[in-house]
Amino acid sequence: MSEISISTELPAGPIPSMLAQPEGPPKVSVRDLNFYYGQNHALKHINLNLVTNKVTAFIGPSGCGKSTLLRIFNRMYDLYPGQRAEGQVMLDGHNILDAKLDLNLLRARVGMVFQKPTPFPMTIYENIAFGIRLYEKISKSEMDGRVEKALRGAALWNEAKDKLSASGLSLSGGQQQRLCIARTIAVRPEVILFDEPCSALDPISTAKIEELIDELKEDYTIAIVTHNMQQAARVSESTAFMYLGELIEFGPTNKIFTSPTDRRTQDYITGRFG
Amino acid sequence: MAVQSTSMEAAGPYDRAKALSAFKFGDSAFYWITRACAISVLLILGGIILSLIAGAWPAMREFGFSFLFTQRWAPANDPPVLGALGPIYGTLVTSVIAMVIAIPVGLGIAIFLTELCPQWARRPIGLAVELLAGIPSIIYGMWGFFVLGPFMANYLQPSLIKVFDGVPVLGSIFAGPPSYLSLFNAALILAIMVLPFITAISVDVFKTVPPVLKEAAYGIGCTTWEVVSNVVIPYTRVGVIGGIMLALGRALGETMAVTFIIGNAFRITGSIFSPGTTISAAIASEFAESDGLHQSGLILLGLLLFILTFLVLSAARLMLMRLEKKAGN
Repeated sequence: MSEISISTELPAGPIPSMLAQPEGPPKVSVRDLNFYYGQNHALKHINLNLVTNKVTAFIGPSGCGKSTLLRIFNRMYDLYPGQRAEGQVMLDGHNILDAKLDLNLLRARVGMVFQKPTPFPMTIYENIAFGIRLYEKISKSEMDGRVEKALRGAALWNEAKDKLSASGLSLSGGQQQRLCIARTIAVRPEVILFDEPCSALDPISTAKIEELIDELKEDYTIAIVTHNMQQAARVSESTAFMYLGELIEFGPTNKIFTSPTDRRTQDYITGRFG
Repeated sequence: MAVQSTSMEAAGPYDRAKALSAFKFGDSAFYWITRACAISVLLILGGIILSLIAGAWPAMREFGFSFLFTQRWAPANDPPVLGALGPIYGTLVTSVIAMVIAIPVGLGIAIFLTELCPQWARRPIGLAVELLAGIPSIIYGMWGFFVLGPFMANYLQPSLIKVFDGVPVLGSIFAGPPSYLSLFNAALILAIMVLPFITAISVDVFKTVPPVLKEAAYGIGCTTWEVVSNVVIPYTRVGVIGGIMLALGRALGETMAVTFIIGNAFRITGSIFSPGTTISAAIASEFAESDGLHQSGLILLGLLLFILTFLVLSAARLMLMRLEKKAGN
């Protein structure tokens, strides 16, 4: 169809019409986004949309900027001095790069699950109740209900219901990761970011998480960074291939994996580099 | 190349056995040396306890348990009347006040340094805290005597006394008259002295919190305060409490600075602005000119300090174990 690579010379502004954008209402739209680690220009003129209630996968070799991009969606980079983003990232039409934005509120709307499971040093129950309590004052029985709902949502209830007062760290790696997903959805976000959520997990746990992602997209807009191309192909509707800080190709997952238009995409998905 | 390796293999078994037997000697020598080091600690500890008990024996026989509950300290009487209640009270009160001041300030500095401080200010502040730990205690004592004591007596104490005058309980704790030499001044100096312990150890353990764990907490929308109080401190509580215990141990036993500014009074008045004494200050100021039963009484005081410190540290251990249980581990 068309050439999809975006060079750095491309003018800022509206998204190039030749980019095959996934169909559907955008939840997040990124416009001419640049990101810097100090002097290092890590992301160059990124334009893309995350479609509401769809899964968007980000693939590319290590250091290509896909995790960096993910960490812009909840402004996690703000924790570290010297990192800055320029351009626009619209969440429901509001620019989240706005300096006056309430970061805590943003992070309640945009949840994140990390590469390694990160249970907080407290009980399983508290791991989930803690996040809810940040925003809502609810009764004990209501809280019990919310905790159960979150654990069920993360397919962990059956394994965890008898040991809610055990430490979150007593769970296995896969269970811990599902606990982190439960904790994330308990806050009722609108977007969930997964940063290589299965890279520390065994195949069975990975399958469970993937199933879960498939269920979660009914309620949430999802972005997932992964090194596992089969995983990207299995869980996502759209895939973005990034290389050296640029968005090389972005489109429907089946098209990216079956008939990529850019040579580099093809080389990467066929394993010739990366 | 191949030939060489086969010849080495042929020579192998003999050489290997020889080499191994040499290692064996080294291993067992290493084992015994390290073991001797470990045992020497026990021997020294046991020796100190025994000699303390031996030295304190005459006083123990003379006063028995009443030593613990007697406030009067009259070594010049005939026979001498000695009671440890004043020094025990002073030791506990100054240490408790010191910890009440030093824990929040020390943790505050540590949290600021690790979570909030701009990069360029980290080193200077961290260095200043470390230098604070390096100041000899005699200098704290002199500074307390010549600068802090007068300042407290002239400015802070009068206003505190006025504020709490007439309030039940608090009124008698903060009762006048202002004094250069007081339990409170000693506690304040102690707080400054133990601060670096709490801060340095807390900073070190705070740095062990995985960044991704903090990111996860920020990621569900926690404020810095919520991250620190719900994730960083629970994650590091064993280390933080360890630092606090080290600080408490030092506060209980600190001698020189306290001797300068506590006033060396054995009477318990109930007001923290009045002079008092601690166990170590009492020993330091009287030991040189003591003999007989008086000296034995001072050694008994030392034994008590030893026991007191041991009890406090065991209590801390117990508390830690209960905390662990509560956290579900």
